[in-house]
Amino acid sequence: MDRRRRIPRPAPVGTAAELDRGLQPERTTLAWSRTALACVVVSAVFLRWLEFYGLWLLLMPLLTLVAALTIAGTQHRRTRVGVHAIRHAEFDVDPLPMVLLLALAMVLGAAGLVFVVLA
Amino acid sequence: MAHPPEPQAAHDAGRRDATPQDPPGQGAGGPADHRGSLARRLFPDGETPDPRVSLANERTFLSWIRTGLALQAAGVAIEAFAVIPEPGRKAVAVLLLLLGMLVSGGAFVRWIGIERAVRLGQPLPLPLIAPVLGIGGAVGSVVVIYLILR
Repeated sequence: MDRRRRIPRPAPVGTAAELDRGLQPERTTLAWSRTALACVVVSAVFLRWLEFYGLWLLLMPLLTLVAALTIAGTQHRRTRVGVHAIRHAEFDVDPLPMVLLLALAMVLGAAGLVFVVLA
Repeated sequence: MAHPPEPQAAHDAGRRDATPQDPPGQGAGGPADHRGSLARRLFPDGETPDPRVSLANERTFLSWIRTGLALQAAGVAIEAFAVIPEPGRKAVAVLLLLLGMLVSGGAFVRWIGIERAVRLGQPLPLPLIAPVLGIGGAVGSVVVIYLILR
């Protein structure tokens, strides 16, 4: 028996391309991916100070990696919710991801200010 | 090739007005308002807009956040990699980091402002962070060029 058949796969995400030729949910999901990547890149710049500040500095990339993995893990659901919203012409905006992303950006900025002033 | 017509919601002002077919309480604050507490607090009034408008607003917010993150990365890099000599390097790094945080905060405020305006069918707010970014970026570039060439 083919073992590959036993691997559970997530349900495929449909599209609403016939209603939404701009593919808005897909583009929004990609925008979240770019943002996650940007967060990781910013935290990676901090690693230049690793010798100066010590291993505590690894908390910065660790934090952004957790955020990036969280974003990646919710992408499937995000696209599915967006497609459902297009199909049913209703969308309940969830501000929590935006609030958390803003908090992450502020933490990165505040940490950068502290490290720059102390350097 | 004939394409199916887009839903009517795409052709109005981005706002899905309540129709007689809508069940009662679909508007904000109604008895059947099933949104989360944070959404109800941030967007207490108005009608659910076209999902495409909300998704576009979300992407614009993310784009501004990435701009803020790029400014923060530039601030950290200028100090960490000693791109320009002291004095002045630390000040430029701090200014870039503050500008990045300001842009990020402004992105969130603008996201809320646009979502509220669309829900209420009002004109969109002015993009106040755009001139801040433009002026800040121009001043920062001139200062960095001066510090490199002096």
